[in-house]
Amino acid sequence: MFLRNFFDKIKPNFSEGGRFAKLSSTFEAFESFAFTPNTVTGGRVGASYKGCHIRDAVDLKRTIITVVIALLPALLFGMWNIGHQTAMAYGLDWTFLYKWWFGFLRMLPIIVVSYVVGLGIEFLFAEIRHEQVSEGFIGTGLIISMIVPVTVPLWQLALAVAFAVVIGKEVFGGSGYNFLNPALVARAFLFFSYPSHMSGDNVWIAQPFHFAGDAVTGATPLALLTEGSSLNSHFSVLNMLVGTIPGSIGETSVVAILLGALLLLVTGIASWRIMLSVILGGGLMGLLFNAIGTNEYMQLPFYYHYLMGGFMFGCVFMATDPVTAAQTNAGKWIYGFLIGAFAVMLRVLNPAYPEGMMLAILLMNCFAPLIDHCVVAANIRKRKARWHLEVSK
Amino acid sequence: MNIKIKKGLDIRISGTAVKAVSEMTNCTEFAVKPTDFVGVVPRLLVKEGDAVKAGDALFVDKSNADAIFVSPVDGTVKSILRGEKRKLLAVVVEGNADTEPKPLFNPSLLAQMHRDAIIDTMVSSGLWTLLKQRPFGIVPHRDDKPKAVFISAFDSSPLPVDYYFILNKEDFVKGIEILHLLAGKVHLSLKDGAEPSFLDNLPNAETHHFSGPHPAGLVGTQIAKIDPINKGDTVWVINPQDVSIIGHLFRTGCYRPERIIALCGPVVEKPQYYKTLSGSSIASFSSAVNKECSKPRFISGDVLSGTAISADGFISASTDKVCVLPEGDYYNFMGWLRPNFRKFSFSRTFLSGILAKFNIHGSKFDFDTSRHGDKRPLFVTGEFEKLVPLDIYPMQLIKACIVGDIELMENLGIYEVEPEDLALCEFADTSKTEIQAIIRNALEKIRVEA
Repeated sequence: MFLRNFFDKIKPNFSEGGRFAKLSSTFEAFESFAFTPNTVTGGRVGASYKGCHIRDAVDLKRTIITVVIALLPALLFGMWNIGHQTAMAYGLDWTFLYKWWFGFLRMLPIIVVSYVVGLGIEFLFAEIRHEQVSEGFIGTGLIISMIVPVTVPLWQLALAVAFAVVIGKEVFGGSGYNFLNPALVARAFLFFSYPSHMSGDNVWIAQPFHFAGDAVTGATPLALLTEGSSLNSHFSVLNMLVGTIPGSIGETSVVAILLGALLLLVTGIASWRIMLSVILGGGLMGLLFNAIGTNEYMQLPFYYHYLMGGFMFGCVFMATDPVTAAQTNAGKWIYGFLIGAFAVMLRVLNPAYPEGMMLAILLMNCFAPLIDHCVVAANIRKRKARWHLEVSK
Repeated sequence: MNIKIKKGLDIRISGTAVKAVSEMTNCTEFAVKPTDFVGVVPRLLVKEGDAVKAGDALFVDKSNADAIFVSPVDGTVKSILRGEKRKLLAVVVEGNADTEPKPLFNPSLLAQMHRDAIIDTMVSSGLWTLLKQRPFGIVPHRDDKPKAVFISAFDSSPLPVDYYFILNKEDFVKGIEILHLLAGKVHLSLKDGAEPSFLDNLPNAETHHFSGPHPAGLVGTQIAKIDPINKGDTVWVINPQDVSIIGHLFRTGCYRPERIIALCGPVVEKPQYYKTLSGSSIASFSSAVNKECSKPRFISGDVLSGTAISADGFISASTDKVCVLPEGDYYNFMGWLRPNFRKFSFSRTFLSGILAKFNIHGSKFDFDTSRHGDKRPLFVTGEFEKLVPLDIYPMQLIKACIVGDIELMENLGIYEVEPEDLALCEFADTSKTEIQAIIRNALEKIRVEA
C-alpha cells in the first residue's frame, strides 16, 4: 500500500539519530492517525512477557472519535443556525443550503484557530516531553469552537485556547491529568477577560458578508430572563427544543444534542449516571424555585432550564468528561446532581452570570476528587471494620 | 453455598479444546523454571550432566528452605539456562516420561504419619512448591498457619479447560485429604449447574457453587466471596491438577507430576488435551499449530495472564493449558475509524458486538496479540468497575499502586488481589496500561519492605 510504504520510507529520519529526530512525536502522531500501530502485547514479538496477551480493540482514538461523531449533529445544526439567525435578523431570504453554507464559512475559521493553536501546543509539549501526542484535544478543540458566540474575535479565541491547553492541562501533565475541563477553561477565560464579546445581545448574530450598516442584535433566552423581559413573546418551547434561537454555536438545539447523547450512551462512552443526575439535579432545583416562586424567573417551568442556554450541551458533552468528573459510580451521581442544581441556582439567583452551566461544571470539577475521596473512604472503613472484627473473634 | 457473580466478561475467543486426550509421546526434555515462582532466589544444587531421579532436588530458594524444586523425570541434567547477569532461567532435564518412577516412600505408612511428617515428605519431594500463599503469591513457609486452602475446580478464563474431564478421581480425593490435614479447612469451588461428578461430595472439603462470567472461576474472586483476606491473614491456594499430583504421591508413593494440558487457541489445528508432565517442552506442541500461521505466540496459561514462551521454551509450573495466538504485528489503516466487524471490544464502540450477538460472522473471535493502540494515561472511567466483582475500587487501587503508597494500597484492598484478578481490566483498558505488572510490582514492594 502506497501510504504505508511512504511512512516506512521516511520513518528512519524521525527515529533516534535521524535528521528529524526532534519531530518524532509529530511523525508518530501522523503515522498512528493513518494506521493503528503494529505494537503487540508485551511490547515486541518474542519479548519475555507475563500479562494480557489479547487486548480490547478500543483505544483512546476510538473513544475520542466517537465523541466527535456525537458532536456532529449539534455542529451541523449550529452551522445552519448561524445562517438562519442572520437571515432572520437582517430580513434576508436565504435558502436552507445557503444558510448552512454561510454558517460553515463563519464557523470554519473558529474551528481552524481552535485546532491549530491547541494542537500546535499539544505537539510542542509532546516533543519537549518525548511523549506521544494525546488525542484528547481532538474532542476538546471542537467543543471549544462550539461553545463560543459566532462573532468571537479570533485572536481572543486563540489566546483562550492557548490558556486552556497550557494552564488547564499541560502544566498538570497533559491529557488525563488535568482536573478542570479544558474546553470550559477556555470559555471561562473568554467570559472573564472579554465579557463584552461573550455575553449581551450584540454577539450572537453574525453579520452578512459585505454588510456596511448597523449591526442587528438578538438576545438569548437567558439574557431576556435576566433583563426581566418576557420569554414567551420571543421564543416558543418548540423554537428552543429545535434550536432556532440565538446562542453559542453548538448549544442551541436540544434535539441535535440528544442525538449525540444517544450515540454516547449506546456506545457507553459517556456516563449515563452523570447525564441522568445532571438532569435530575437541574429539574429538582427548578421545581424548588417554582415552589418559592417570588419572581417571574423562579416561576419558569422547570423544563425550560433544559431548553435554554448550555444546559444540555454541558450535561451531555462536558459534565461527562471522564478525566475531570468524579470517577466512582456513587460519586458520579453526586457530582452530576450538584452540577444540575448549581447551574439552575446560578441562573436564577445571580443576574451577573446568565449562564450557570459553565461555572457549575468548573466548580464541581474542583470538588470531584473530594467526592471520590469520601466514596472511597466508606469502602476503606468497611474493610478496616472487617479487619478488626477478625482480630476480635 | 450458591454464589452468583454479576460483574465480569466472557471473552468469546475461538479454539476451545474438545474433550479428547492424546498421549504426548515426543517430549523428552522437561524444565523447572525459578522464574515461574514469585520471589524465588535459586541456589543451584546440580550441574550439567548430573543424573537425577524424579523428585530429586534441582535448586532451592535461598530465602525459603522449604521451597525445594525437583526434577519431574528420571534422566540427566541437559542444560542450565541463564539470562542477563547470569540469572538462572531454567534447569532442563532430559529423560523418558513413560517410565513410572520408583516410590519415594511406602504409602501404607501414611495412616501413622502426623502433620509434620507429611510436611517433611512434601518439602523433600518438591510438592510444597505447588502451594501458593496469598497475599503475595509466594511459596509458603512450613510454619505458616493459613486460614484455609482455596481451590477453584472450574476454569472461567477464555478457552477454559474442563477440570471435570481431566481430573483423576483417586488422586484428587487423596490430595484434598492431605490438604485438609495440613490446613484444617479446604474450600472447593465448583461451577453452578455443571454435570454431577465426584467433586460434588468430597469428605474433606467445603464446596461452594459459583455462576456468572469470568472471573467467577478465579480463586481470588471465590476467596473474596467466601472468606475475604484481611490484613495479616494468609490463605493457601493450589491448582486442581497439582492437588492430584500431591494425592498421587501419598496414594502410590511415587512423585509423578503428570498433567493433562489443553492446547487451544485460534491457530491450533485441532484444539484438544494432551497428557504430559510438568515442564514439558513447547516444541512438542508446535506440530499441532496451523501451518499458515507464520508467527505463533505460545502462552503457558491463559491468554489474560499467562506467560509468553518462545518456541524452544518450556511450559510453566501449574499450567493447565497452552494457548497459541498469531502475533498481531500488522498495521490497521484508519483502525480508529473503521467499523471493524471482526474485532472484539468490551466497549460498544464497534459494530462487531451486534454482529456477534446475531451470529452473523459466528459468535467467536479470532484474536491475535495486537495491542490495538498506544499507551495513554488512565483516561476513561467506569470500565474497570464493570469487570471486577470484588468489593474494591479497581481504578483507585491501581493508581495507589502506581504511586507506591503502601498504606493506601492496604486500605484499598491490595491483599485481596493477585495480578490475575485485575487481568480483565488490563484487557479492556482503553489506555493500554499494563495493570498486572503494576499490581505485581506493588505486591513485591510491600512484601520486600515488610
